[in-house]
Amino acid sequence: MINVDDLCAGYGGKDIIGDITFAAGKGAFIGIIGPNGSGKTTLLKAISRVLDISSGVVTLEGRTLTDFGQKELARTVGVVPQETAMNFSYTVGDIVMMGRFPHKERFAKDDPDDYRIVREAMEVTNVAHLADRPVTDISGGERQRVIIARALAQQPKVILLDEATAHLDINHQVEILSIVRDLGESVTKIGVFHDLNLASEFCDRIVLMSEGRIRAIGTPAEVLTMGHLRDEYGITAMIQTNPITGRPLVTPLSEGVPPALRGARIHLISGGGTGAGLMYMLSAAGCILTTGVLSPMDSDYTAAKQLGIPCITVPAFAPITPAVCDALGSYLDESDVIILTAMPVGEGNLPNIRAITSARRSRLVLYVPPEEGFTDCTPAGDNSFLAAIRSAGCSVVSSRSSLYSEIERLVLVREHL
Amino acid sequence: MSETSRTRTVSIVTILVAALVCAFFFALSLGPTTVPFAAFIPDDMVGMMLTLFSGGDIAGFFPDQTSYLIIYSIRLPRVIAAILVGAGLAAAGTAMQGLFRNSMADPYIIGTSSGGAFGAAFTIVFMGGLFLPIFAFIGAIGSTFLVYAIATCNGRAPVETLLLTGVAISMFFSSILSFLMYSAGNSLHQIIFWLMGGFWNVSWDDVWLALLIPVGGIILFILARDLNILSLGEEDALHLGVNVEQFKRILLFVASALTAVAVSIAGSIGFIGLITPHVMRLVVGPDHRILFPTAMLAGGLFLLGADTIVRSFLGEMPVGVITSFVGAPFFIMLLRRRMRA
Repeated sequence: MINVDDLCAGYGGKDIIGDITFAAGKGAFIGIIGPNGSGKTTLLKAISRVLDISSGVVTLEGRTLTDFGQKELARTVGVVPQETAMNFSYTVGDIVMMGRFPHKERFAKDDPDDYRIVREAMEVTNVAHLADRPVTDISGGERQRVIIARALAQQPKVILLDEATAHLDINHQVEILSIVRDLGESVTKIGVFHDLNLASEFCDRIVLMSEGRIRAIGTPAEVLTMGHLRDEYGITAMIQTNPITGRPLVTPLSEGVPPALRGARIHLISGGGTGAGLMYMLSAAGCILTTGVLSPMDSDYTAAKQLGIPCITVPAFAPITPAVCDALGSYLDESDVIILTAMPVGEGNLPNIRAITSARRSRLVLYVPPEEGFTDCTPAGDNSFLAAIRSAGCSVVSSRSSLYSEIERLVLVREHL
Repeated sequence: MSETSRTRTVSIVTILVAALVCAFFFALSLGPTTVPFAAFIPDDMVGMMLTLFSGGDIAGFFPDQTSYLIIYSIRLPRVIAAILVGAGLAAAGTAMQGLFRNSMADPYIIGTSSGGAFGAAFTIVFMGGLFLPIFAFIGAIGSTFLVYAIATCNGRAPVETLLLTGVAISMFFSSILSFLMYSAGNSLHQIIFWLMGGFWNVSWDDVWLALLIPVGGIILFILARDLNILSLGEEDALHLGVNVEQFKRILLFVASALTAVAVSIAGSIGFIGLITPHVMRLVVGPDHRILFPTAMLAGGLFLLGADTIVRSFLGEMPVGVITSFVGAPFFIMLLRRRMRA
């Protein structure tokens, strides 16, 4: 449908974007994301021909963009800008009727077909009841739906959205993007997004831009990865999966991680959800993690699974067999650092702790956040299992920042051995 | 457009046309000497029409020769010129307001009037006022071209740049005008009179020139749908299929030609081109397909009324004085209302 091939464009003879190559199939919804100044809007302006292309080609249904007459282009491509200034009080119906302009000859009057198309466009975007209201009197969300109706009245094959919902409340954002997504196979949609989760939920494919270049392109799951977000946005983000739609869900983390942790091999012994947070943070920091033994019912297991962390598992309530213990032992031996979190300990997972033999205790860090502690569910019930490892003088940390410095120290020690 | 607003538009146009026709006859009748309506009626209407169209002298068809002379030679050209100039300024103002997306814009916003004033002052000072309308016209249209040429970069003339360039060029011509006035000597009062704007020297020659105004009005009316879309903003207009740069060139040319014609006939009469479009937009809405004809009718009516008043009751005071006198407070009222909104 639309092919962008090696496109370069910019302002005043200076290229802002370059080497842009991608294609959007008929009916697809493509999201363009990237930090401010990455050239997202410039790309959209080049595709909508507001901006002249300095090199490269954009083709629509096999025809070069520059071959289109202005009206013909408007019959093919509709644009929904971030905001349309309304200085004059045209009625909503007038504004949507303007979408018919590219279909009209100079002296042609608006005919019944135009009125029907305009009415249908207003019904799709749910603004038909506003038809006689001045567009200056309606809310921002309603106005944006009017602009979408106007774009629909153009009967375009491609709709471009330039952060079309960026200044709206979340309910209107979802409403408007749903309308756009549900336009179906006849309309190809390309949208610039600020909000990564909206892009993830609504787009079939995502183009990640930075500094005027495409850095990644693919399905939301392929593009919205911790690594991409760290490299292009410079943020630490937690990527989960929306359990309803299966799309990636991005949560930026306000807490940073020291870059020195990158490449550190860590085995994490946790359970009952005490390790999930650490898994996200340490993955974001670029550590090579292993974890276990966990049962699939544990929320730590879910986190490990989402992050793709190798995890030794046993079925729920099943004992840890000697074979599993051997597997754990080899993970422990391969790691620079072993982290044990303050988890509930019972007969079932006690072998986890027993596996931390004296030879391995020098690499052990106990992570006990303030006001939390080990819960002893063994018949002894007196935390005696801790005594052995504690007596060896392993380090105990209560905050993530001290954990990070402890990891750094242990990695250094190990490198010097 | 819905059925009710169509009815409304038709009735507003009807009222404006009727008012203009009435004002037309009253204006012919009123003046230092009041001419009774009876003197307007020829003895033989059909015969007069035939003579008129065959180019003959129709004076004999009228009952009173003095009244005929006053009306035909003095008042009729003046009344027609006032209507057309008012209509022209209103049309140009409407076009500028749509183009600049600003209801505070007027026909002079890109330097047309100061260019015209410069042209007029030039011939008054150096050539004893010879070819004054021509010089005013050249000055007015020349300054517009100058503004457009300066504001254009890579084939594009963004409206913001046009506006700022217009202000700068206006200032520039005003300073030259000030210098000309400073060195004008005896002809200073002539320049000042011209600047205030008025119709006291209007003859049939000016009317022929003024007939360009309806032509320009019709062109603007044809472009009304494009202007509707351009008034949403240049990028939106591009997306909706308007060839923006070409359209702006045509619109600027027609609007400044209208203004230049008006200025060369009557000097720079203020506020008509600002107020009329604004008021009519409040009455009929922003659709330029309706706004252009109604604003032109209202502009003609307003200027005819103002000119008739100064001519009949205020001893030939320049009509620009009264339009500004009414216009300025109105402008302030508008401003206050916008501030409150």
